[in-house]
Amino acid sequence: MRNSTSERRKAEPAAERLNPKIRNPFEEFKTFTGEKRDLPLDRIVQSTEEVMDRIRKGYEKLLEEEAKELVWMVQYNTIIKAYEVAEKYIKEIDYSAEDIEDFCFALENTQRVPYLIPGPAGIYISALCNYAKEEEIVLKLSELKTEINLIGFRLPSGKRLAIEGDTGDFTGIGLEGGELVVEGNAKNWTGAGMRGGVIWVKKNIGLHTGEWMMGGEIRVGGRIRSLGNIVEGKVFERDKLVYPGKARIPNLYY
Amino acid sequence: MEEQSLQAIIEEIWPRLKRKHFYPELPMPTVGELPEPNQDGEERSEGVGLEMKQKQMRINSAFVHKMRERMSDRQVIEALLDHGITHYTFCPWDFHTHLMLYAEAKKVVPDKGLAKRVADCFIDLIADTHCVKKRSTEIPELHRCLKKGPVEEVIASLCQKIWGIDLGIPAFGASAKKNEAIVRRLARIPYLDRSRWPESIQKFARSLKPLLYEEQEEQENRGGKGASNPQGEHDLTHYSRDEIDQGLRDYVKRTMALSEFKEVIEDFSEELKEAGYGMEGGMGRGLSTPIDSDVLFYMKLAENYSIPLKKLPLEKKGVLHPHSHSPWEVGSPFQDVDIWTSFGKVMPGITQIWKKREGKGRGKMEGTPDCLIAIDSSGSMINPRKSLSYAVLGAACAANAYLQNDANVAVYNFSDAPMGGKDILDYTNRREDIYRVLCRYFGGGTALDLDDLIPLIRGRKNLDLFIITDMKITNLETLISFFGEIENRITAVHIGENPYASRFEKAVEKKRNINIFTVKRKEDIPHIVLGKIREYFNPT
Repeated sequence: MRNSTSERRKAEPAAERLNPKIRNPFEEFKTFTGEKRDLPLDRIVQSTEEVMDRIRKGYEKLLEEEAKELVWMVQYNTIIKAYEVAEKYIKEIDYSAEDIEDFCFALENTQRVPYLIPGPAGIYISALCNYAKEEEIVLKLSELKTEINLIGFRLPSGKRLAIEGDTGDFTGIGLEGGELVVEGNAKNWTGAGMRGGVIWVKKNIGLHTGEWMMGGEIRVGGRIRSLGNIVEGKVFERDKLVYPGKARIPNLYY
Repeated sequence: MEEQSLQAIIEEIWPRLKRKHFYPELPMPTVGELPEPNQDGEERSEGVGLEMKQKQMRINSAFVHKMRERMSDRQVIEALLDHGITHYTFCPWDFHTHLMLYAEAKKVVPDKGLAKRVADCFIDLIADTHCVKKRSTEIPELHRCLKKGPVEEVIASLCQKIWGIDLGIPAFGASAKKNEAIVRRLARIPYLDRSRWPESIQKFARSLKPLLYEEQEEQENRGGKGASNPQGEHDLTHYSRDEIDQGLRDYVKRTMALSEFKEVIEDFSEELKEAGYGMEGGMGRGLSTPIDSDVLFYMKLAENYSIPLKKLPLEKKGVLHPHSHSPWEVGSPFQDVDIWTSFGKVMPGITQIWKKREGKGRGKMEGTPDCLIAIDSSGSMINPRKSLSYAVLGAACAANAYLQNDANVAVYNFSDAPMGGKDILDYTNRREDIYRVLCRYFGGGTALDLDDLIPLIRGRKNLDLFIITDMKITNLETLISFFGEIENRITAVHIGENPYASRFEKAVEKKRNINIFTVKRKEDIPHIVLGKIREYFNPT
């Protein structure tokens, strides 16, 4: 009883306690505590932010380790090493396909990600796709201003990665049995060194397509600018087999 | 009779609603039968429920009637008013935010109609989510009871997910599966984080885009328009003229991009014309002439800067005395504000200034002379209709400074004047005419024709000259000797540094009446002090 009285007293303003006739002019606002409630939206947004922070930190660490001078050369060794570093950080993160898409757009926002270095960024996104829980990943990147290089690197068997929009150089290199679908155009060196799986490019493709390709298929809905030196595998241009065959000569531009 | 009973409900619940929303400054809503914009969409929606024009909310009695089977009148009215009030108190809040959201949506969805639809859906969703989070409201019930098209179904499904309230959207089935990926993407957007609205609306538009195109195609096939928005359409009628003015000013200052501004203005041109924008009739109340978005761009941008103007002792017949009131505008002199009739506030729309008139008598007092602005629009200058020209912005700021002090301004726009590359505007106080001549671009060579300038100066004892150029003038020496002869105050502004500008500076450095300023960035513009006379009698 004593406790409740003292609590009430604490709540009463000093002026009212001294003179009960004085009315607090803000009394009415006491009821204005509102019915603020937690929405599932808050939880979703918070967890999305946390995941995005971890993905972003992983990318920054990759840059720290692999692109100290903010310069990165595309070489066999550098790609393998960068991928290994990316794998190390990504394995610790629990994320979804939507997080990967958000990260792609965050790369263009300098306030959120300070540096976009196309090579490591592409390697990192590829690693994210390869380690994602989902077997099928759709990335809606048609509004992205930059084309991501190296996307689909080492896409493993049983995974399907669909990109809405265009991709940059080295798309689907070292593909390891997965299915990579590009709804737009792909640039040069697409499918270089791929060992298995399929790359579908709905529009046109650039130079050196399928260079050192060891297996699998590249299917192009539009035109192929030039083929690379293909070891094994098949390349189709508008459903027509162009490799193996006599229709196209490697490294000759069309 | 029915309208009277609905009005009675509003009158009863309005004090509670106002209190719930922390007393927004909105008038008591009214009831009426709103005209239905299209009949085609009627089968798929109940029509418009709420209209908001210049803060006056109006409930559509026909809408309430149609909803009667599913919700009580009181619930419908409360939900609609909660929604309408939240537009005023949270999103979009002001015209600038509305424009910004539309412009961001348009970057993803280039179609004007679809971009407006995206912005509307986004604004509504934020308003409703804010209301559901912060207030006790009937909005979820309204969502549950409304008829839904494909887009509305996705939005309702999203609301169900992010609010955690059952809105009667099945979680299973063909349509649910189809919408699942879209809803999953939409649910990740931080709707209540105002600082992230620009990126959020882009993501919102990206996710909804395929569905919107499907809807548009379906509408085109049916040859009709879409269903009306039951929570009210979002157009410029929401805003007062002052709010539109302020919104344009803020938007132009934020973007500083002429092309983006032009695009948005062209998209809203019909509504802006209705709001009174249209150059021919003046910025007051114009009739349907095309809005010159370039002129409007510089006009609004210049309003963000004010250049100080030093007054001169002028011969007058008598002293000025306060005569009548006029509305205060941003940039008008503060000393003329009448604090008593302005309720102590400095705010466009509320604050009033004294208009002064000359009394009888004779003497000298400080005043503002007229000004002749000479602007270079030769090939070495930026075309103001293609990208932001600091020269035009600087000249516009100067023109504003003189006009706000009740002086007149003449404009001499020149490139190769002797060859006809010139436009001359005689002394006037019509701001839009001045801006139109300032925005004119000739290109080509640069030469002044003194025969054009002299008649504008002759016979005017007190006159300021303001010249803005990059100084790459073929007959620069003629100009220097002309400036050497006259005693008027001259403010010369040159864009960038070059040997011609150095030559000019050196030639006139001993002239007390000439001040030279350099503009390299837009931030330099406020540093220009019009008519400032150098202190030659400095003891040091």
